[in-house]
Amino acid sequence: MKTRKPAAATVATYAVLVISSLGVLVPVGWMLSTALKSGEELFSQDAHWIPLNPTFAAFTRVFTDYPFATYFGNSLLVVGASTVIAIAFASFAGYGISRFQFKGRGTLMGFLLLTQLFPSIMLLIPYFKLFQGFGLIDTQAALIIAYVSFQLPLCTWMMVGYFRSIPTELDQASEVDGAGRLRTFWQIVLPLATPGVAATAIYAFITGWNEYLFALVLTSSEDKKTVPVGIGQLIGQYRIEWNDLMAASLYALVPLTLIFVFLQRRIISGMTAGAVK
Amino acid sequence: MAASSPTARPDAEGMRLSAPRKGRGKAPRRSRRDAIAGRVFTLPVLLVTIAFVAYPIVYGIGLSFFETNLVNRWEFVGLDNYAKLTRDASFLDSIATTFAFAALVVAGNLIIGTIFAMLLNRGLRFTTFFRVVLILPWLFPEVVVALLWKWMYNPIYGLFNSELQSAGITDQPIAWLDDPNLALFAVAVACIWKGYPLVMVLVLAGLQTIPNELYEAASLDRAGWWGKFRFVTLPALRPVLLAVMVLETAWWFKHFTIVWLLTSGGPAGATNVVSIDIYTRAFKNFQWGDAAATAVVVLVITLLLSGIYQKVLNRDED
Repeated sequence: MKTRKPAAATVATYAVLVISSLGVLVPVGWMLSTALKSGEELFSQDAHWIPLNPTFAAFTRVFTDYPFATYFGNSLLVVGASTVIAIAFASFAGYGISRFQFKGRGTLMGFLLLTQLFPSIMLLIPYFKLFQGFGLIDTQAALIIAYVSFQLPLCTWMMVGYFRSIPTELDQASEVDGAGRLRTFWQIVLPLATPGVAATAIYAFITGWNEYLFALVLTSSEDKKTVPVGIGQLIGQYRIEWNDLMAASLYALVPLTLIFVFLQRRIISGMTAGAVK
Repeated sequence: MAASSPTARPDAEGMRLSAPRKGRGKAPRRSRRDAIAGRVFTLPVLLVTIAFVAYPIVYGIGLSFFETNLVNRWEFVGLDNYAKLTRDASFLDSIATTFAFAALVVAGNLIIGTIFAMLLNRGLRFTTFFRVVLILPWLFPEVVVALLWKWMYNPIYGLFNSELQSAGITDQPIAWLDDPNLALFAVAVACIWKGYPLVMVLVLAGLQTIPNELYEAASLDRAGWWGKFRFVTLPALRPVLLAVMVLETAWWFKHFTIVWLLTSGGPAGATNVVSIDIYTRAFKNFQWGDAAATAVVVLVITLLLSGIYQKVLNRDED
């Protein structure tokens, strides 16, 4: 069937794909080109693609002139902790929902999906007030709690999808062998779901790593801010150092991009398992 | 996690003792045990959802009936905050702006995402490369997307103006983000750049579940390209498209970050989407009750929209 496709359609497909890819790659290239330029070259009227005197100074300045090392540490701590918690809870729930019949199962799944319709900004004011009450404003604990509750609904959906794809015969065999449910979960089902856990974890990590609004409101001191807030506040300054900003932005997206390029098949199938089935 | 394991264990031990001894005839007890195990395993998610999603939402709805400084002044005002909103021009403008913004972005994401998914689904060579490149913006933090576009839109040193001017298309720099007529489109373009990959991925997954036999049958019926799209692809994609439309509308209707960083709602309120309106009311003007009422209105609108989608798309099916 594929060989019979008319050549014109194939050429047109390639043309659209190439042009659209440029639509992604040109801005990214411009980001890199900006980061490699010096301050005075940046503010010249004729913008050129290849920097005249390429310099990596912006990439070091990010860490010497700005507290980006702290921001990165905070982001890793907050997002790492919330991802671990969310994945643990989501795996438990995924196992429970996919393996056992009980009342309220469908309601819980429906409600988790419904939470996606709630404006997150609606949670912001209550969170602010509640965390203030517990003295958690401007702490990493507040952000971890907030991120777990953002990550959990879709992570649970994804994990349910994964556990459903693992045949229950294995559970029954394990039960016949005398293993309890917790052991069956831990030793039989969870290891089989490792690809799903990895995909879900990456999804959760990206969600947290990219979050801006809650970090903006719930933290205020420099040593608690995350990378997005740190980058975002540079834009409000009187004179924006675009080369430093672009270097910081590249740092912020390189880890995710590398993870993604190597694991993209797994991530994509993970993201879509819950949505399509 | 810690909370659930001690409670799960006695049940697990019980299973171990009873399962091998009695073979059959214990279906009721088994299903009761199943129900307990299911509840125990879902308990952490349930608790987090109740404590950190359901309760705050109820709290937020409650807040919308008060005039308060969140500390010591709590004056119950009933529906006054809502009544005030109906007379508040800046609120009504921001709702209209949000509808326009969300419509632009969701339509852009759906059209571009679906087209790309269909092109990628043709199984041509280098598809993996194109897929990875086209998905990249989805990975970029919204803050990074906003900064990158703000820099490209820069009227004096930005990429767009310098390219347009050196190509001789315009001789005056265009103030993309400072022109009230352009700003909303400029912001929407940046958001579409960030948002289409998710639609693309989900639609692509949907396309891959369509059995090839359906297309072959359509070919036998002498269906052309459009016929196949209209009578095979679209119906098969309906559930995916419905889910995507509902989620996308909800996400972009309440979107904050990219718009805030690009324009902060300006120029002259041209991009003052409702999330920015809420943020300003709450964290700049400390009108917590008004802000909570506005958030409730957004919630109602997103719920109504998703209801309408489901009605319309399900009716088509009959």
